[in-house]
Amino acid sequence: MQHSIPSAELGPRGQAMADAVSSCVHCGFCLPACPTYQVLGEEMDSPRGRIFLMKDVLEDRLPLEQALPYVDRCLGCLGCEPACPSGVQYGDLITSFRAHSERKRSRTFFDRLMRQVVLQTLPYTARFRWAARLGKLASFTSPLLPHRLSNMLAMLPAQLPPSEQLPEVTPAIGPRRARVALLAGCAQQVLAPQINRAAIELLSRNGVEVVVPQAQGCCGALAAHTGADRLAMEAARKNLRAFPGDINAVVTTAAGCGSGMHEYPLWLKGTQEEAQAHALASMTKDVCVFLAELGPVGFAPLADPLRVAYHDACHLAHGQGVREQPRQLLQMIGNLELVEVPDREFCCGSAGTYNLEQPEVATELGERKAAAIVSTEAQAVATGNIGCMVQIENHLADAGRCLPVKHTIEWLADSCLDGHGSE
Amino acid sequence: METIETTEQLTHFVRNQAQVRVRAGGTKPATSGNANVSLVNLSGVIEYESSEFTITVRAGTPLAEIENLLAEQRQYLPFDPPLARAGATIGGTVATGLSGSGRFRYGGVRDFLLGVRFVTGEGQLVQLGSKVVKNAAGFDFPKLMVGGLGRFGIMTELTLKVFPAPEATRTVVLENDNQSDALETMLQLAASQLDLTCLDLDDTNRIRARVAGSDSALLDRVARLQQFSNIANKVIEGEEELALWQAVGEFQWVPAGYRLVKVALAPEQIPPLISDLTPGALRICAGGHLGWIAWPQERPGEELDRVLAQHCCPGLAITGDWHSPLIGEHQGSAFARRLTLALDPESKFTNPQPVV
Amino acid sequence: MHEVSKTSIVSVCKLGSRTPRPSGLHTFEPPSHFWVDAVEIPAASASTPSDLSRLAPLVDQLRQRFPTDRLLTQPAQLAPYESDGLTAFRVHPGGVVLVQDASEVVTVVRLCHEHGVPFVARGSGTSLSGGSLPVAGGLVIALNRMNRVLDYQPRSQTIVVEPGVVNQQVSRHVAQDGLYYAPDPSSGPVCTIGGNVAFNSGGAHCLKYGMTANHVLGIKAVFPDGELVELGGRSHETAGADLAGMFVGSEGLFGIALEIVLRLLPLPERFHTVLAAYDSLEKAGDAVASVVASGLLPGAMEIMDKLAIEASEQAVHAGYPTGAAAALIVELEGPEEEVAAEIPRLDAIMQASGAYELRVAKSAADRMNIWKGRKGAFSAVGRLSPDYIVQDGVVPRSRLGEALAEVQRLSARYGLRVANVFHAGDGNLHPLILYDGRIEGQLHQAELLAGEILRMCIRLGGSITGEHGVGVEKLEFLPEMYGEAEMELMNRVRQTIDPQELANRGKLLLSASDVGKQSHAPHPLESAGVISRA
Repeated sequence: MQHSIPSAELGPRGQAMADAVSSCVHCGFCLPACPTYQVLGEEMDSPRGRIFLMKDVLEDRLPLEQALPYVDRCLGCLGCEPACPSGVQYGDLITSFRAHSERKRSRTFFDRLMRQVVLQTLPYTARFRWAARLGKLASFTSPLLPHRLSNMLAMLPAQLPPSEQLPEVTPAIGPRRARVALLAGCAQQVLAPQINRAAIELLSRNGVEVVVPQAQGCCGALAAHTGADRLAMEAARKNLRAFPGDINAVVTTAAGCGSGMHEYPLWLKGTQEEAQAHALASMTKDVCVFLAELGPVGFAPLADPLRVAYHDACHLAHGQGVREQPRQLLQMIGNLELVEVPDREFCCGSAGTYNLEQPEVATELGERKAAAIVSTEAQAVATGNIGCMVQIENHLADAGRCLPVKHTIEWLADSCLDGHGSE
Repeated sequence: METIETTEQLTHFVRNQAQVRVRAGGTKPATSGNANVSLVNLSGVIEYESSEFTITVRAGTPLAEIENLLAEQRQYLPFDPPLARAGATIGGTVATGLSGSGRFRYGGVRDFLLGVRFVTGEGQLVQLGSKVVKNAAGFDFPKLMVGGLGRFGIMTELTLKVFPAPEATRTVVLENDNQSDALETMLQLAASQLDLTCLDLDDTNRIRARVAGSDSALLDRVARLQQFSNIANKVIEGEEELALWQAVGEFQWVPAGYRLVKVALAPEQIPPLISDLTPGALRICAGGHLGWIAWPQERPGEELDRVLAQHCCPGLAITGDWHSPLIGEHQGSAFARRLTLALDPESKFTNPQPVV
Repeated sequence: MHEVSKTSIVSVCKLGSRTPRPSGLHTFEPPSHFWVDAVEIPAASASTPSDLSRLAPLVDQLRQRFPTDRLLTQPAQLAPYESDGLTAFRVHPGGVVLVQDASEVVTVVRLCHEHGVPFVARGSGTSLSGGSLPVAGGLVIALNRMNRVLDYQPRSQTIVVEPGVVNQQVSRHVAQDGLYYAPDPSSGPVCTIGGNVAFNSGGAHCLKYGMTANHVLGIKAVFPDGELVELGGRSHETAGADLAGMFVGSEGLFGIALEIVLRLLPLPERFHTVLAAYDSLEKAGDAVASVVASGLLPGAMEIMDKLAIEASEQAVHAGYPTGAAAALIVELEGPEEEVAAEIPRLDAIMQASGAYELRVAKSAADRMNIWKGRKGAFSAVGRLSPDYIVQDGVVPRSRLGEALAEVQRLSARYGLRVANVFHAGDGNLHPLILYDGRIEGQLHQAELLAGEILRMCIRLGGSITGEHGVGVEKLEFLPEMYGEAEMELMNRVRQTIDPQELANRGKLLLSASDVGKQSHAPHPLESAGVISRA
């Protein structure tokens, strides 16, 4: 598509934005893959519609404020990318555009406050724990709070698990086959510390030494996807420094974090660290990908047959192209019958902080996802992202189905044999 | 009646007449009554490219001539136009929109007409559609000509899509105990993957299912068809089989003293319609979508008209005397009226007054 | 830069202020009676056009009937509706109304008629001929939310749908009963039945199964003056003139289809899909001729050339033979035994055809992947070039070789790359002319080249469009395919149905007032200021 975006004036990411617009041919193949278009049925809320809007804003033909409601409604699920025959790098465009527009947009006081609360707490384990406790305390006032805030509180679990410190080094059990560094993540570590614990245990039983660099921080994805590019760059730089070089891979357990680390080269485009960012990104692997490549030692069968639905987290399937490895691994567990969810590549509506910012669409998508899972008659759910887990569990509960929803790695760890063939 | 030889004569004729009603082979008298011009001499194949799967012919060309020519190249008209033996022409077939039992597999005459040259009510010769098998340019006038009874224009030339003829055919005749069983069997066969060519049901609850295709696969396919329905059946082949379908296509089953009417059906309309049709007879073709009614000469046509209208079925009278060939319920008069305004502003083609 | 004017809800371009005109665009005549976006227009010519003055009272009426979230009038809401699948043209509509049922469509159409405001129906906006390009100051009636199945009769093999139902959803809906809907345009996962009906969409299986018109049995529609009409019915057979057939492909000029009855077919039991690689296009073309001469009737025969193979392989990774000069897909379908009997015949032909690689789809997934590569090919070409024009000419199948050689010659002469994707079974060529709109004059060259290809199709006895329709794009070529008498007749039909030319104005037929103003460049509607180039 032709455009007259002044890419040179738009900073280091101007070219990425211009390239994405340029490769869009407006064919509409993205429409059926876009959850917001499917829910809202209007062109502004479709990938190609947003591309048009962003193009017009960048070309200075449309005031930013008018385009923002629709750009903001994008989940960032990247479902459009694999659907796009002409290869539009939509993620590069929307992330860069959000960063670009953040500096120009005006937000209400409440908006700014919410944003700061989210950006300054969620990515920091200690702060988040503290805020979550406080939030739960305050929840009796929730009818008085603005909808978005009460929505946020509603998502918090009734009780947080106790704080956990991950060991800096966990040796391999048996002969060492590899050495990896684990990204601990932030919100996940507070809400579900058992996931990383499971990952470490699983990896070590598979002969992998696991390092958890203590200097690491949040991956920065949350900041990047909400337009806080400076925070994102800071986070990326911190992790560039924190992760050692003498490892076989950086392993991530949350889809969003893994996808975020793969974006480091984009965030640090045109900076001194760009090359380093490429190097780190190329080493970063979802734990399932790493394990599938390594070849797991084996799994014990479940005691009883169980139908388990696998949900594709967007930032695994679309963000990192990881679809088959988690399925392959789960299918190695005897008695576990893996079932596919209809419209499996559709976002569940969690999408980072989307739940907080666009509760109506998020709820609709959550309900659809829950209904799709229920239709499979699954008895449990496996997925690779903490956000999806919370969203799906809540919506299944609302639909009257309290199914266990566990991270793929938890299913695997629960059945894992060690290098000596014992559980 | 004037017999014209050239399109120029025809345009001249249309310009100079107040009413124009056409006939050619005269095999469907109910649709060509009061004709004042004959196209039988506007005949002959203009272009036949077997490698293109297309043939262009003059409107008055007899079906038999076309079918013989196609057969030389092992091709055929898959919509199986009826009354070829009786002398029907391609123009009359298209104008009445008649397809035979073979329409079941690949569709009717509407699905095989690609292009048409016709004379408008103002005596203007136009050529619309195209001579290639795929075309989306401009309004689809060829469709309008199908079943249009010459009310929107007088066709002079037609281009049709043709298909390679199957190597071999066999027919399985299935005997059913009663009507509801027969209908059920027919509908199951229609929705099956057996890929039948014809699927007819007569008023003695007998289904005729025709299989066509590669010689080497035919016996297995017939066997599967027999297993599928699992009722008393007989396989017919060779000359006998060809004769059977020829008799169907020539309506030899219609008893003397009966008039023939075509009716477009949806299968769910069949059971209630049948009970209201007596003493007429209904033959069902094309898996329940095409009906042929034999209506006693002595019964008033209005009675059938009324029955069909009650069941929301559009009908077309083929033989015998009728007030109008279009009986039953026909939709779209608002569209037809507007089209007539454009194509025949003086209503030369629709004027019901008899012409001397 | 947009402002909302006080007297009208239409966003108005601050004229002459910005928008550096990209090079390579045509020089425009100042528009006489339409406000046009994205074009530099002298401010004096943007006086209140008549359509705009009619629009405001219409919108006032609509506001009483539609909530604000279904009546779009803000610039940011309208901008995404400026184009469909043909981005070379953009027109800023006066408003968009998101209708939810047939009665709302009728209400809107009647109001448009009453106020004399032109309207354009739009489904998913995938037209490649600009078929759903808005009219400046007119209304877009968005039908995509009207996506219900109204009735489904598996035993009769019919389904009644609203116009916003997506093509592929029909087949998905009926798959449980072993049925499918045959027309399969490449945009099948996206495009709507309403759009398919308006443009008589095709697909890869037209030689054997025909186009959309052959699968539409009945239509309930609203004429541009608000009159309701029912055409055809639920029978696969017709009696009386095939009026439903006449409505299909009328490109929206006859009004809007509200309910559509479709014919369903039993899903073939077995598919046998072969992908063959050739070192020349001619060999692939000869293979098609041999298949046809053999008496086989494959469901589909598709050819892609080197450029198209490369683009599609990058997009889909279907295992296409990159480096091959041509890839041919042939698909047999039918009952198990019949296909089994046909396979050796096809094999012998393919072996003798000089294919250097033959691949047979081993599974349903493998077959889907081969088709996904083919069907994503147009858009995939977006990877090779920032801009391209898709053409849609038809030539008699036996003249495909000649046509392709001519396309190659033209490509060389114009110095523009042309990728070729075509439905070889029915002679439907899709040359994709690659150009870069930022390079001065390339768009114009590409359009000239496209025009020469269309004229070649006419010369060889074919058609200027096999399945995309005339739309805005080929408006000036229709009178070259048909004669004066035929054009006059079509115009007259349109006049009897829509004398005000409110329904999808600017598509298929020039406005009565524009007839006679035709020229080859710029586009006649462009000269009239009705449309603009992005």
